[in-house]
Amino acid sequence: MSKSETNFQFLERFDKRVALLAKQAEEYVHTDPDSCMFKLRLMVETMAKKLTSLQMRGDISQDLGAMLGALERGGVVPRRQADSMHAIRRDGNAAVHGSPTPVPTAMRRLREAYKISGWFCKMVKRGSKVNLDEFNPPEPPVPMDSATKQLHGKIDKLEESIEERRLATRESLLMFGPQENVKEVTRRITEELKALDNVAAAAGEPTIDADFVALVMAMDLEQIEEDPRHGGSSRQAKRDAEQQLTGIKKHLAEREEAFLAERTFLLEQRKT
Amino acid sequence: MTDSDQLHLATLWFLSARAMAVAGEEMPTVQEAATGLYAQAILGFTEEICCEAKDAEYISNKTLIDCLSGVRQLPRELAEKILTGIMMISYSDRSMKPLEVRWASMLASAIEVSPDEFQRCCVNARVIASMLRPHGAPAS
Repeated sequence: MSKSETNFQFLERFDKRVALLAKQAEEYVHTDPDSCMFKLRLMVETMAKKLTSLQMRGDISQDLGAMLGALERGGVVPRRQADSMHAIRRDGNAAVHGSPTPVPTAMRRLREAYKISGWFCKMVKRGSKVNLDEFNPPEPPVPMDSATKQLHGKIDKLEESIEERRLATRESLLMFGPQENVKEVTRRITEELKALDNVAAAAGEPTIDADFVALVMAMDLEQIEEDPRHGGSSRQAKRDAEQQLTGIKKHLAEREEAFLAERTFLLEQRKT
Repeated sequence: MTDSDQLHLATLWFLSARAMAVAGEEMPTVQEAATGLYAQAILGFTEEICCEAKDAEYISNKTLIDCLSGVRQLPRELAEKILTGIMMISYSDRSMKPLEVRWASMLASAIEVSPDEFQRCCVNARVIASMLRPHGAPAS
């Protein structure tokens, strides 16, 4: 692929700003991978803002992580695209905060950005046809020596392993396993629930106090915490849950830092 | 608790949680995320246990009746945590359908909680749901 060519030409028709950022990222991928990541992160942020303005209502935080989370929960961004966008956000943030980006990492994210772009075009202009060709990786300005090639191979392997570990974390948090047929499981559970409901109704099973449940749902949290019957218990439950949740978040953040450290270690090996 | 006990408990959790989410008819991502976070943050399962519990070998041959029977045999504190968790899933989308009420009722009967205890679980579930509910507005 020559310097003047780009994988992202098709984006021009849909969003000029996103297209420009993608092309700049492409130009920097070999010469300045950190800048490539800045541009890709900005590209994802621009996409997220556009999708938010088109598809969401209400106040959405302008923080990219929160914006992507809201888009995913709202069903606007499918899981695969969301994973790629989060990966770009994370590596973009790492680059901004001084963690060096290896070329293979930037190239991997550029390839992901390419796939997201095709999907993004269909989202911003419904019914538009976008047939993506195979991604054509930009060539380095000077041929790579064997030591660099070897290092890139190692970094690629590390990236694969990081992605596998991230995937395992993600799968552990989901309600269904990757091999399960969610539709089939859902159908089976629905049938079972309906059968149990009929049996319970026929047996005159007392139902829970649905009015109370509705009341709790309608109450402000402040009201709940001031309630003399439940205030103490709910404050304690909140404290416990906050502490445990913080623990999990800290664990996840530490793992991400460990991934970055592994990457940096490999890059530093080259310098010594 | 041994690994096998943990696995059994995690399977019960994921079954109960799925039943509540399915009873809610729609399954927003927020419920999915809350399920896993609750499993790890509140029930204390590891990532490996969470993945293993969803393996077909453990979960696919279990029915909701097995689930009710399993929850009934749990120590009281753990059973109440499961009840609180499924109420949290129900609250996470801010609505409750008739089958959700029924499933909560069946679990509460299996555990034999008193009305006061059930109310405490509901209130705690509401508080935790508000914490796990991520920021941002619902989709249009």
